[in-house]
Amino acid sequence: MNDDMHTALIADDEPLLRDQLKARLNKLWPELSLTGLAVNGAEALSLFEELEPDIVFLDIHMPVMTGLETARLIGRGRSKRTHIVFVTAYDEYAVEAFERGAIDYVLKPFNEARLMETITRVKERLDSRRDPERADDAEATLEIVLRQLSNRLELPVDQHLRWIKASVGQTVRLIPIEEVVYFQSDEKYTRVALEDSEVLIRKPIKELLEELDPRQFWQIHRATIVNTRAIAGVVRGPRDQADLKLKGRPETLTVSRNFTSLFKQM
Amino acid sequence: MLLRRYAARMNRFLQFLGNVTWLRILLVMVLTTVATAIVKPYFMHDVSFSYLWGRLFIVGAVMLSAFIVGNVVHAQASAKRFTLLQIQFVALVSGAMLGTVISGLAIGRSLNQMVTNEAIFWGMVIFIAVGVSLGVIAATVLVYREQAARAAADASKADAERHELEKQVLEARLKLMQAQIEPHFLFNTLANVQHLVEANPPLAAKTLESLITYLRAALPEMREGRTKLGREVDMANAYLEIQQTRMGDRLHFLIDVPLQLRTATFPPMMLLTLVENAIKHGIDPMQQGGEIQVRAVVNDGMLDVSVADSGQGLSPTAGVGIGLQNIRERLQALFGKTAKLILEENTPRGMVARIRISHDINER
Repeated sequence: MNDDMHTALIADDEPLLRDQLKARLNKLWPELSLTGLAVNGAEALSLFEELEPDIVFLDIHMPVMTGLETARLIGRGRSKRTHIVFVTAYDEYAVEAFERGAIDYVLKPFNEARLMETITRVKERLDSRRDPERADDAEATLEIVLRQLSNRLELPVDQHLRWIKASVGQTVRLIPIEEVVYFQSDEKYTRVALEDSEVLIRKPIKELLEELDPRQFWQIHRATIVNTRAIAGVVRGPRDQADLKLKGRPETLTVSRNFTSLFKQM
Repeated sequence: MLLRRYAARMNRFLQFLGNVTWLRILLVMVLTTVATAIVKPYFMHDVSFSYLWGRLFIVGAVMLSAFIVGNVVHAQASAKRFTLLQIQFVALVSGAMLGTVISGLAIGRSLNQMVTNEAIFWGMVIFIAVGVSLGVIAATVLVYREQAARAAADASKADAERHELEKQVLEARLKLMQAQIEPHFLFNTLANVQHLVEANPPLAAKTLESLITYLRAALPEMREGRTKLGREVDMANAYLEIQQTRMGDRLHFLIDVPLQLRTATFPPMMLLTLVENAIKHGIDPMQQGGEIQVRAVVNDGMLDVSVADSGQGLSPTAGVGIGLQNIRERLQALFGKTAKLILEENTPRGMVARIRISHDINER
């Protein structure tokens, strides 16, 4: 195989931008053979396994699987060394990280002079594959940068319930959890009290307790969970109980004895 | 348990003490002096002014105590069977009686003497009569002052609420004015235009036109609180056209807004936020893409503007950012409770976001 004859794969979810990169590469690097075009990360991964290209141009923002995830999976599974070039429109964190780790990237919209620089550098690096030590170094850096970036991009996921789904007439309404004043069990349903209406859901209080954010929702009774932001005041009641006054609703809620400690004076 | 009951009693006592202010004691002293001056001529045998003052002060002190106890009992009673005025009047009368009896006992008279000796009995009646009438005057002054103070507190509370609302409106407007354009969106669109200039010049021109329409509306500028629905629809259309150029076959959209509704009053930037959300959270994550439908209808006097997508829908734990929260706050600030943002599940999948505001026919 001719050393100058390299193969490449392009992955971008936007069809026009795939065509554009392909056209630019054909012009600036005619010896490069573009063997595959992928529309998302998952497709890029399967095409990569099939075609084993020397270079993969990966758009960072793609549906199903991002370019960063794809790069990590490619890094793990490959049998031969592949060079990755990231393509991005704007991503200050990523660009900064790529600069620091001397990882190749191109910015959209493309600037031909800038693209040519990247091509020259990629060609050099492809040659350096004959120097295994340097290539190993480059790969270790890539791995580190990707790990840092994915930590940054994968925001801490809040697993708490954010929406209540309730049937209202023919439709299923999605009610943001912030709008709920309180939940109260009502035989086999749970009554969800909102400021100006009420809906019924099937999820029992016990299950709700596990799924709601405990910083925002407090159980005040065996059958009642209240939104702390909707509490207007507490009045001491008989037998060590207390009554909660609410914002936006006229009725008061009973705080049973076991839960009055929540409202102890500070 | 015992401790808690003790604490509760202690608490009631402290509340009582808290109500015994120097001002009130001074008031009782002044009134006692007045009462002494009134009562003195009625006493046949000569008594000194200070002696009489002392006896009347005891009456005044007992009445003040009764009055305060009445107030505290009324404040703590769970079932309000009597009005505060009723309780205060009963407290004053019984306080005057009790005070007179105590002041009699204090100078060594027996209870028996008080009812059998006619002179002493009438003296006591005078004491009670003067005590009650001055007490009522004093209580009226106290109650009036209290009401004035409460009215002032209510007024300042209403003032604070108004300020809070004004602050919210201002904040919402500020958020609106901050740049809404994602650099990612802008650069990707420009990259598309860059390619189209070579590959498909007419489409490049059209895409640039859409981008200009979008930028004109989305760049932060001082925009009034309300605009016309037509303008907002044009902006959403420009945005959707750009996205269609970018996404190709993955996006289809339909805009169905009757011509006569284009002049309806509608708040700025809300429709665009809903359309952006539909792309970002609905269509874009789907490999095969989907469809977005923008519709406006009037029913029951309400203008109903909806954005429906056939995307992946909302998972119960998904956060959709501050966009929707911002719309809710602005709707509330502009129209109060009548305006609503409603989210529903779409069939067979995806979701529908709906803004409902009152549709003023006169404005057409």
